[in-house]
Amino acid sequence: MSGTAKRRVAITGIGLVTPVGNDVATTWNALLAGRSGGAEITLFDASGFPVRIAAEVKGFDDSAVPVPRRILKLANRSHRFALAAAEQAFVDAGIRPTEETATRWGCAVGAAMMTSDFVDLSATHDHSAPTGDIDYAAMLSDSAANDPMAFCRSQATAGVALLTRQHNICGYATSVHTACASGGQALGTALKLIRRGAVDHALAGGFDSMISPVGISGFCLLSALSPDNETPQRASRPFDLTRNGFLLGEGAGFVVLEEWEAARRRGARIYAELAGDGNSLSSYRITDSPPDGDGPIQAMRAALADAGARPEDVDYLNAHGTSTPMNDRSESAATHAVFGGYTPQLSVSSTKSTMGHLISAAGAVEVAVCALAIHHGAMPINANLVEHDPDCDLNLIVGTPRRKHVRVTLSNSFGFGGSNSCVVLRNPAEVDGVGAAAH
Amino acid sequence: MSARRVLVTGTGAVCGGGMDPAAIFDGIVAGRSAIAPITQWDTAGWPCRVAAEIPDFNPRALVDDRKLHKLIRRTDLVGLYAAGSALATAGVVAHRDTLDPAATAVYNDRTGVYVGSGAGNFSNQYDYFPLMTDANGDLQIFGRELSNTVNPMWLLRTLSNNVLGHIGIKWTLKGPNACITNHSVGGILAVIEATEALRTGEADRAVAVGHDAPIEPQMVIYYHRLGLLASEALLPFDVRRDGSLFGEGAGALFLETEASAKSRNAPVLGEILGGGHACEAQGLIAIRDDGDGVVRAVTQALDDAGIAAADVGMIVTHGNGVWQSDFSEAAAIRSLFGNAPPPVTAFKWAIGHLIAAAGIVETTVALNALKQGIVPGIATLAQPDPNCDGISVSMAAQEPRSNVALILCRGFAGTDAALLVRAA
Repeated sequence: MSGTAKRRVAITGIGLVTPVGNDVATTWNALLAGRSGGAEITLFDASGFPVRIAAEVKGFDDSAVPVPRRILKLANRSHRFALAAAEQAFVDAGIRPTEETATRWGCAVGAAMMTSDFVDLSATHDHSAPTGDIDYAAMLSDSAANDPMAFCRSQATAGVALLTRQHNICGYATSVHTACASGGQALGTALKLIRRGAVDHALAGGFDSMISPVGISGFCLLSALSPDNETPQRASRPFDLTRNGFLLGEGAGFVVLEEWEAARRRGARIYAELAGDGNSLSSYRITDSPPDGDGPIQAMRAALADAGARPEDVDYLNAHGTSTPMNDRSESAATHAVFGGYTPQLSVSSTKSTMGHLISAAGAVEVAVCALAIHHGAMPINANLVEHDPDCDLNLIVGTPRRKHVRVTLSNSFGFGGSNSCVVLRNPAEVDGVGAAAH
Repeated sequence: MSARRVLVTGTGAVCGGGMDPAAIFDGIVAGRSAIAPITQWDTAGWPCRVAAEIPDFNPRALVDDRKLHKLIRRTDLVGLYAAGSALATAGVVAHRDTLDPAATAVYNDRTGVYVGSGAGNFSNQYDYFPLMTDANGDLQIFGRELSNTVNPMWLLRTLSNNVLGHIGIKWTLKGPNACITNHSVGGILAVIEATEALRTGEADRAVAVGHDAPIEPQMVIYYHRLGLLASEALLPFDVRRDGSLFGEGAGALFLETEASAKSRNAPVLGEILGGGHACEAQGLIAIRDDGDGVVRAVTQALDDAGIAAADVGMIVTHGNGVWQSDFSEAAAIRSLFGNAPPPVTAFKWAIGHLIAAAGIVETTVALNALKQGIVPGIATLAQPDPNCDGISVSMAAQEPRSNVALILCRGFAGTDAALLVRAA
């Protein structure tokens, strides 16, 4: 199915559920203003934990989840975010799968990291392992371990199953997981599906929610989170000299993708061209980034080459910028290696400074942010930057958003395990002369 | 059809049936089943007490680096073993050692890693049980005692992309990559995506892996509750079939563009001709009766390969022994191949259902079947289901009618994948 000329892919719909807004407009305004989503954890009693802060999705109501109640039971918190964000993206795009087009729609998602909900794991502990050791005979009468609903919610394919069923998506459907690179790689997968003609349209995105006792614990044990419990809104400060870990977020981001010419023919509003995807493996250590940026460098170069863009065409980099000491330094080194003398002209921000780190959703949400930057001609700020780390010598957007015509953007996502994803978007005006904000 | 051919130059597999594809094939041809009583926990009184475990499971024999054993799970051990076997049979490291440093760096950057990763991840969470006992429902205590009780590397063990990351580190492979967590179609999708990366020039070669170790207590209970597990035997297309049985293992293919393989005179074992993938959109477990997803996946694969249904020499079905799955798969084959289907077989009666590893292990076995000119029979097929009629399944071995095999694979979320391979 690999054609000779690459088919272009348009982003025509966006849906977001994030710690700073349960829709696109609210999230976007918070990112421009740098209003942090960080706060004390409310989802469970975290008062005894080393880290008691996170960026939770706030005021989320199941009425935003467009499925019948009996189906809702099959969806955990992250799946509900996914269903809500996907619905927003379809409404925004003004197109959905129909009986005629269903087999030409694909779906690629970056799926959440955890297996069981904490409540189900606790129930199994209480019934089958009250002493800490498992009594396998007891497990046979364990209601959580026998509950098919709990099983369905635990599955890595639960999200793609709920989304394809809800929207009757009958083409290529897949879940990917490369930790924090998942969302970016899901969009890259969808791009390739449309390019090679496997489908003509796709729903693509990512979702995650790890703000639970076990989820927080996993990162606490690795000392990956900022321990700044007293100042949650300042905890995520990518590229700041005093940064000390990431702020765990949650949420979902989805986009509707269409083959470019078809989108133009129907008069769709095109936010941006999904122009290029690059991915690589650092093959260095499972959790660490190589100090010299090796790995991310290849992903960024491959993405630019795939998009047919030069470094000097790029106006905005939405950095992975997790606010861990290691990542931000490595990413800065990689950016210098790729952009060379152009680096000072490249505007950079990590919107994790505001939203926190959405893990498997991060890449998808941040590509959506790049699409909005192109659409609105505005680049969101890198919040909380007070003491700029000299080892992260990048042109960071501080204080107020930068407003200008944004030609090309990059979004980086690097995951535990060493997968690096870079996604390139291009302003529609740079593609066929029809401006991003023309509609 | 793509101009750029994708060749298979290395294979690896491990499962209850053996430690390499040839041994697994030999066992199947001989009618040997690896399905036996589960040894990992006491199953007395359990509704299903059998599976195809890897006998005498020895982590050291699978991955020699003992330090790594603490960071990964059983599913990762088998995945890394299969990947290592594929790289070894392809002679990758020996070839790379002949290159100068600059060429080595290019070689590594141009080598992809595509993994289909598995389903069972309940037991790993039990590491929290002692802490939960100490906390006695008080999350304050849970939080305070956390670092005294749980292994600091716990989260890393839970990652579904461990095989991807550790293949990269162990063999310094750094190209494009994916970790596909799409239940039973994961391994086949890894092959399809790796093939596309080679066709489009994203990489010059890639290792594709599928791995899984689903034989966990909670998995057995859930699958049983969902009506997916057999009580004693996995009987594809048999009227007595009552469900599937778990197996565990991994399969791997090393794929190269023709130019990459030729440049080093690599041994060519076969060729990936094409693939297809479709979704039935019925939810996590439900599927359609008419095999619609299978029909569409195979149609795409044939188009992709640029061949006709009549060119297919044998079919390895998903054949998982679940009533509706086998029934609808047979309907799809009848609809695609009319009254002239090639020999049809299934392997899960012998090696169990390897979930994410199923399709790719079965692909390595199919390449052996084509090479030997033997389509193994389904040894359990004593009473063929008349509802699955007309698809050329048999207890006896058959002869492939060409050197092309079609491998079918079906997973949760109503996903159906098809892969076409040709043996050299």
